[in-house]
Amino acid sequence: MRVDAVVVGSGAGGGVAAAVLAQAGKQVLVLERGRDVTYEEIGRDHLRNHRIARHPHRAGTDLEGNPRVFVDVAGRERLVRAHEPGFHGNPTLVGGGTRLYGAQAWRFLPADFAMASTYGVPAGSSLADWPIGYDDLAPFYERAEWEIGVCGDHVASSRHWPRAKPYPMPPLPEGLQARALRQGAAALGWDVLPVPLLINSVPYAGRDGCTRCGHCVGFACPADAKNGSHNTVLRRALATGRARLLPEAVAERVECDPAGRVTGVRWVDRSGARHVVEAEVVICAAGAIETARLLQNSPTRREPYGLGNNHDQVGRHLQGHTYAWALGEMPEPVHDGLGPGVSLATLDFAHQNDGVVGGAMLADEFTVLPIAFWARNLPPDLPRWGLDNKRYMRENYRRVMRVGGPVQEIPSPDARARLDRHVRDRWGIPVARLSGTTHPETLRTAAHLAGRARAWLHASGARRTWTEPAHLALHAGQHQSGTCRMGDDERASVVDRWGRVHGHDNLYVMDASVHVTNGALNPVLTIMALAFRAAERLCADW
Amino acid sequence: MAADLTASQSATLRAVVDTVVPADDDPGGVEAGVLRYLAGQFRGDLAGLLAYYGAGLDAIDAEAREVYGAGFALLRPGRREALLKAVEAGDTHTPWPFDAATFVSTVVGHVMEGFYGDPGNGGNRDAVSWRMIRFEVRD
Repeated sequence: MRVDAVVVGSGAGGGVAAAVLAQAGKQVLVLERGRDVTYEEIGRDHLRNHRIARHPHRAGTDLEGNPRVFVDVAGRERLVRAHEPGFHGNPTLVGGGTRLYGAQAWRFLPADFAMASTYGVPAGSSLADWPIGYDDLAPFYERAEWEIGVCGDHVASSRHWPRAKPYPMPPLPEGLQARALRQGAAALGWDVLPVPLLINSVPYAGRDGCTRCGHCVGFACPADAKNGSHNTVLRRALATGRARLLPEAVAERVECDPAGRVTGVRWVDRSGARHVVEAEVVICAAGAIETARLLQNSPTRREPYGLGNNHDQVGRHLQGHTYAWALGEMPEPVHDGLGPGVSLATLDFAHQNDGVVGGAMLADEFTVLPIAFWARNLPPDLPRWGLDNKRYMRENYRRVMRVGGPVQEIPSPDARARLDRHVRDRWGIPVARLSGTTHPETLRTAAHLAGRARAWLHASGARRTWTEPAHLALHAGQHQSGTCRMGDDERASVVDRWGRVHGHDNLYVMDASVHVTNGALNPVLTIMALAFRAAERLCADW
Repeated sequence: MAADLTASQSATLRAVVDTVVPADDDPGGVEAGVLRYLAGQFRGDLAGLLAYYGAGLDAIDAEAREVYGAGFALLRPGRREALLKAVEAGDTHTPWPFDAATFVSTVVGHVMEGFYGDPGNGGNRDAVSWRMIRFEVRD
């Protein structure tokens, strides 16, 4: 088979890349290692989903034959399966994480692109500025908001970002959580804004509005009102007739000619048979761990440690988000059962916190499933079982509220995704070996933000609040990023400012791997915007 | 009743389930279908833990006999709770084949899954725990 472009991965970045290329007249093949699962197959199983992986989950990496090796903080290594701690999985299905995500649609803040020059570089970290800034990305954020579909409050958001155009949809109506938090923020003099969401608050682009079902993050949408790759850009790519999507197709290596020029992708079908698709351009969009694995598993004589890896950068700076949070017991019920739950945020502590580097957006929580509430939301002094535990659940399930947010991680070059030398997956491909942690400086920021979260809950009426300190750990499951960072210096980065792998004119990365830092906010809209920008440029230069 | 446990182990499990989630104005774990949940899990995702459960339940029963002179299922609720708390704290009086505290926390986690999880998993009969805490499901 021969196509113009192969896109590896059908998630947030791959879907956008496929659409832009197919709409520009290119023949595109999308290889997706996950299955094309139905809403019913994903289901509403409270014990098997990407939010609560108490057992092997129903949408994602197959349990058997796709392990990883995880090296913990103490240096102990173990083999981990997809739902086990340490695997650091992203949902693996057509649409990737966008099928199941909470769909928070944040733009990164202008300061998020300039962490090193704003704060200095903590010793031992690889904190760096992006080679591009907010203004470079703003038109593509706007395009993502309109082409994929975001609801939000343009006026409130305009206090934090220069914005040329409103959101295509108004925010969802606020519920009890937001009402309480608005009062608390007013008492504290804090600015708040509705959380923008890639969810139809009203019918949009031919699909219905949100039914407020409460099974949002971790699940597929029963109303098809959650906007992801699968129901927007991928669908548009396929509608051109020039794109083809192959589920259960595992990219094994990027193929090169003897001179080291990329010529296509070798992939494995569900029966284990190998195929090679030849292409003018190869776009890696498999997520920060799998993209790094694919490049590393594609050595040539010119690049013996994998494509783009002559300076030992591929797979380093692996990061995600450390979460800072607090829980508060409110005097009145704040759980109104109306999904998605997350509704009101403050950005007052995303930057410019005295004495710490960076910060985080803080917001309320998605509707908490009862088993998750039992596992994570109970006060630390409450017995874990017995009558007191049952009484607390009964009296306070609707009163306990979490405020928290993604702390911008200070990257470490020692947080890595490598190929394991011994373990191979079911198709004989070396598996990812994950090691390292975020930089310790991240924990100081998280502690500061947890204090802000408690203050907000107290000001909102909480009778008592509690939190737990964040631990030094790797956070590279959801929000995984950083392994092919963008930069002008090829000795310290993997791709250029257009997502093109240094030293190659036809090999691109269009996923969160290219993030130099991962923002004080959820990253998916940035992945989409970067993919629009890179793919548009690729087509213009073709 | 959980498949493939002995009668004695099943009786101990039943007593443990109602100790972890006791009945009050709302149903306890057994009435809410936690045993049915566990039986289903032992044929599925927890199949590999059946032997672990059997050995742990035997060890809890042996603790009860050592401390109170009667099997766990025959103890009154206050003693069941005290004994399970002691085992959870690692305060054991008989030999255990594995870490006792880990066993208790594992069982507690599974019981709570059966009680608070979705009825589609075989427990939480008629969504009784969801009605208790007022978690409502919409389509």
